[in-house]
Amino acid sequence: MSKVLRIAAREFAATVFTKGFVVGLLIVPVVGGLVAIIGPRLVDDRAPAVEGEIAIVDRTDAVLPRVRDAMAARSSPAAVTELVERARAGGAADALVEMLGATTELTLIERSSSADVEQEKRWLTEGDSTPRRLALAVVHENAVESASGELGSYDLYVPSRQDARTEVIVHSLLREAILDARAAARGLDRAELSRVLTVPRVRSVSVGDGGESDTVFGLNMIVPMVFMGLLMMGVMFAGQGMLTTTVEEKSNRVVEVLLSAVSPMQLMGGKLLGHMAVAFLAMGLYLGLGLAVLAAFSLFGLLDLKLILYLVIFFLIALFTLGSLMMAAGSAVNDMREAQALQAPLIMLMILPIILWMPILREPNGTLAYVVSFVPPVNTFGMLLRLGSSSPPPAWEVWLSIAIGVAGVFGAVWVAAKVFRIGILMFGRPPDLRTLVRWLRAA
Amino acid sequence: MRTTAAIDLEGVTKTFGSLKAVDALDLTIPRGALYGFIGPNGAGKTTAIRMIMSILLPDLGRLSVLGHASALEAKDRIGYLPEERGLYRKMKVAPYLTFVARLKGVPERGLRERVHSAIERVGLKGVESKRCEELSKGMSQKIQILAALIHEPDLLILDEPFSGLDPVSTRLLKDMILAEHRRGATVLFSTHVMPQAEELCDHVVMIHRGRKVLDDPVNAILRPQDACALTFDPLEPHADVSRVRALPEVASCAAVGGGYEVALRDGADPARAIQSVVAALPVARIELKRPTLEDVFVGIAAGDAAVSPPEQRRAAGAAA
Repeated sequence: MSKVLRIAAREFAATVFTKGFVVGLLIVPVVGGLVAIIGPRLVDDRAPAVEGEIAIVDRTDAVLPRVRDAMAARSSPAAVTELVERARAGGAADALVEMLGATTELTLIERSSSADVEQEKRWLTEGDSTPRRLALAVVHENAVESASGELGSYDLYVPSRQDARTEVIVHSLLREAILDARAAARGLDRAELSRVLTVPRVRSVSVGDGGESDTVFGLNMIVPMVFMGLLMMGVMFAGQGMLTTTVEEKSNRVVEVLLSAVSPMQLMGGKLLGHMAVAFLAMGLYLGLGLAVLAAFSLFGLLDLKLILYLVIFFLIALFTLGSLMMAAGSAVNDMREAQALQAPLIMLMILPIILWMPILREPNGTLAYVVSFVPPVNTFGMLLRLGSSSPPPAWEVWLSIAIGVAGVFGAVWVAAKVFRIGILMFGRPPDLRTLVRWLRAA
Repeated sequence: MRTTAAIDLEGVTKTFGSLKAVDALDLTIPRGALYGFIGPNGAGKTTAIRMIMSILLPDLGRLSVLGHASALEAKDRIGYLPEERGLYRKMKVAPYLTFVARLKGVPERGLRERVHSAIERVGLKGVESKRCEELSKGMSQKIQILAALIHEPDLLILDEPFSGLDPVSTRLLKDMILAEHRRGATVLFSTHVMPQAEELCDHVVMIHRGRKVLDDPVNAILRPQDACALTFDPLEPHADVSRVRALPEVASCAAVGGGYEVALRDGADPARAIQSVVAALPVARIELKRPTLEDVFVGIAAGDAAVSPPEQRRAAGAAA
């Protein structure tokens, strides 16, 4: 076995056969599962009910009685049953909004239609009243009928630091009440109107060479995100490991013993390979888990397996570029505290794709996506996002991006090797930019 | 430059910024020799050793190690104990030594036995499965020394090997160095402890401010005929030594402890000086004061590095 492989094997074993690695590896799916399972329950169970008073000034005299009736009806068991039925029928979003209304303990304060709005606004902020004063709604005079044909709405006033759910509830109540009033004023049957205006959302069916299958909503967003996440996780996993072990070897002074047996380049190469294997192990486990989940739900066919090949290629490019630079940063400092300053720009590069994820997926062939695909080292993340999107780029763009990435690898490894060779034996003040440039020239 | 010497340096120079750490160093160490590398702190010893090891590259000059233009080509035949020593803290002792041995090309066959017998040899049987972070400082030192020897190198380079060792461990290390030398290995070690260099080495090289100022066999450096001083105890405790001070061979005569130390003038014959002192004053004891390596070291380190080695030695003798 060559010396590079021996170094790699030690790095791999020293990283993988530790409690920290096992815990770190398991913690991502465990935390993800807990968030998915317990999170919604916590939100439902713990969210406090919205309590307080809502004042309404109704300039039309037609909306307020309907609000009063709606509030009385919503607290009845029959109303809750109806909401559940509507949620089952597919109107989950609307039902949720109404459910929020149903879980409140609101008191309606009815004001005269000619009430002074400025005085009513003061009511909102007068003292520390109990129950709390949540909102003042002023229904426009033309909200139900208008001579000009243009219908009005309502104005809503709330105290500062208001719970956002209050606005959702008030809007829901007033919207329904205003629509009822408008329908009644025109002699229309509101229930019939709702039926006429309701078109349930359908699930699309994917038609391909292999037949038809149900489309999974959002898959075109989730797949690129998952692949980019795997790439990012792999690079961060390995890059951080390379930096940490380099700093440790330097601060432990074991590095000179190693350099008496191997060259700096062999040491660097061994560490790269060792941590690459660690990252492959972690990525392989997560990817295998993901594929197993897809297979379990008979969704395996929805995934283009070429994406896995591209994931491996772009991972190698990103790892060799960012990993070697992380190692160079580790070699130039004396401890982890000093390392933080040098690794900050590299971490920024690694998390940049999170910021660019949405804009790239909205326009996978837009200018931003196009530029990001060809600028190393973020081109790896950008191109993988585009490849996973619903309109992947042409093959020549992919291979051009790979070629640019490989050129970036040579550049990064060249710089890193020069810094590593000098930095690894330098102790004392960490280098500034000028010193790093001098090292590049000297090595 | 390929020679039969174990180490051959020719005009090797290394500069860090404005500091010339090693300045045109010429050095030839024959195979099988035991060389001491001495010099004050910051003299350039460690930089020179790192260049020999190809850990640092020289700015100028040429070097050859075990017949190769670079130590990189012969790393498996070199054992190295750096001045700044370290271990993988989380690794266990036996796996650590096994890892180093494998890096040095030791074959798998018999490797386990080799590691265990090496640990036993330094009296650490039972620590094989302890993590390195659990070892005491002295135990760590021994393991680090074993890491340098585990592959039975042809060339052994030890940078300050005795620092931090207790007397028992120092004795053990001396025995190990001598055993390696007897086995046929070439040994080069740097030290500040002059009696150890004097006791162990065939040959001493001293560098000061990056330049070589001494490169001679120990017995040539410490030749009795080069003595520049005498010590004597008068027969009468309160004898008048003014007659001794007046002798033409004597530069100075000073009381030291219960006796006197006489510095001889340049060119004075020590044998004639003894006869003159005995004739001038009845003595209970008189002998030539042989220069020690420490005298030479202090004399050179305290003097001007530009002075040539023989003059330095004379200066050192006078200082003593």
